[in-house]
Amino acid sequence: MSLSLSLRALPRSSSACSHIASVQVCRRTYYSIHHPDPPPFPPVQATILASAIQHVPRLGFTQAAVTAGAQSTGYLEASTLLFPRGPFDLIRYHLVTERLALKDRVQFPADSKLGLTEKVKKLVVARLIANKDIIGHWQGALGHMSLLENIPASLAELGNLADEIWYLAGDKSVDFSWYTKRAQLSAVYASSETFMTTDQSPGFRDTEEFVERRLGDAKTVGGAAGGFTDYVGWWAGNGLGLARAWGMKV
Amino acid sequence: MAARVLLRPSRLIAQAVNIRPSSPRAFSLSMRSFQQQEARQSPAQDDRTTHFGFETVPESEKEARVGAVFSSVASSYDTMNDLMSLGIHRLWKDHFVRTLNPGSRTASPTSAWSILDIAGGTGDIAFRMLDHATNINGDLHTKVTISDINPDMLAEGKKRSLATPYASTGRLDFLVGNAEKLPSIESNSIDLYTVAFGIRNFTDKDAALREAFRVLKPGGVFACLEFSHVDSSLFNAFYKRWSFGAIPLIGQVVAGDRDSYQYLVESIERFPTQEEFKAMIERAGFVAPAGVGYENLTGGIACIHKGIKPV
Ligand SMILES: C[S@@+](CC[C@H](N)C(=O)[O-])C[C@H]1O[C@@H](n2cnc3c(N)ncnc32)[C@H](O)[C@@H]1O
Repeated sequence: MSLSLSLRALPRSSSACSHIASVQVCRRTYYSIHHPDPPPFPPVQATILASAIQHVPRLGFTQAAVTAGAQSTGYLEASTLLFPRGPFDLIRYHLVTERLALKDRVQFPADSKLGLTEKVKKLVVARLIANKDIIGHWQGALGHMSLLENIPASLAELGNLADEIWYLAGDKSVDFSWYTKRAQLSAVYASSETFMTTDQSPGFRDTEEFVERRLGDAKTVGGAAGGFTDYVGWWAGNGLGLARAWGMKV
Repeated sequence: MAARVLLRPSRLIAQAVNIRPSSPRAFSLSMRSFQQQEARQSPAQDDRTTHFGFETVPESEKEARVGAVFSSVASSYDTMNDLMSLGIHRLWKDHFVRTLNPGSRTASPTSAWSILDIAGGTGDIAFRMLDHATNINGDLHTKVTISDINPDMLAEGKKRSLATPYASTGRLDFLVGNAEKLPSIESNSIDLYTVAFGIRNFTDKDAALREAFRVLKPGGVFACLEFSHVDSSLFNAFYKRWSFGAIPLIGQVVAGDRDSYQYLVESIERFPTQEEFKAMIERAGFVAPAGVGYENLTGGIACIHKGIKPV
């Protein structure tokens, strides 16, 4: 019961964007090209986490990786008290830095002939491929993300990624359909990422096909003139479903 | 709920009555020495003033007065903490130590932590930390130095340490000293500095923070558990009535010592708010943890602040 309560409270607690009136303002903060966010992590945190992430392929998203990150940058075991959420702070670091790195990884020439859906696909796949070195640890990461106290921040970051992808694909509309598009893309991304954790095919070819299929399913991608009720309905009905699609055990 | 809260004091009074025979004498003794000190020092010699509860007193005098308060209650201070925390300070201390997770998780003796527990008085926090290091992290080498300005409190700690497994293991150390100046502790030598329910009594809190910064290794952690400011106005109204109304009265009835209890209540009220104290910690050079940077306990009756000394 407390779970469903807190999920319903998500739009308010997970981002500053719950009010229609603030759509313009809050969307802008996601556009990392035009309005680079202030560095997402303060310097000392960033130093330790950047080093810790190097240890993840070996140690997973664990307290041990955070400690290794601290020690290899001249910090102490005790210094990891800087991260009250432990492994989750490291996971968030991965989510945020890979989202921000997307714009450097995928660029479309101004005269690109690719359609919107094609571009979205390329971006989604590029983001997924950024998980390849740590894919063996990603189910563990999803476990941490499904802890009740981490769900709001995890879903907020998923939403940020969807916004970033739509923006980089060239969709600049600011209207009610934004909520629908955000929700659809979040769902496609979340299920693809979960699919990838069990994908054994060379170069994750199966995952790429999966993304293609899912984007094809969502026929209305980018086209739906979604309204306010879509948004409310999505949070009421799909917040939990989305969390599950993302492999969260809720 | 209200009934539970109301029930506690009577039990606490009953507890406190047991210790009654010893406290008035301890108090009158220390009161006498305090008066002697007061007679020696004319306030005019040093007109820097500080707060003693809501009274303003010369700084030089506060140290003596704080000493008097804690001597007078050296063995009944647990009761006082029970009253101020509505009976839950032990849970806060457990939580404090658990979040600090003291002790090394790598088994080598060279990675053991050096911990300094300031205002450590009766050893409450120190014993918990050694228990945690030993039982949770399997670390048999981490050491704690318990330091307190008041030799009586420290003697009580020493006495209580005999009942712990650490009595003659070399893992416990006792040091009489003022947190504002710790000349016998080397710079850059400590992994974790803790202070629980102590810092609000310090005359110069900024000096104590600077001293904490000095003795900590780069990357070392300052951690403070202290009474703080309640964040809901309704609860605040209740808690103020309780602390200002009932506690000094209970102190009067139980220990014949209204002033000491009055002082405790007022020193809490005077203590900086959560945000102010966080700013003080940052001004001393520390970096606050990710997130809000502090953790309220029981609606803000107490609060845990941490700071990391950057490399
Ligand atoms: C309420 S007791 C707390 C004892 C213990 N840390 C606990 O949590 O139960 C406060 C202690 O602070 C000590 N104290 C007061 N001023 C001090 C100072 N300037 N330096 C060191 N200790 C001080 C007192 O002697 C007293 O033992």
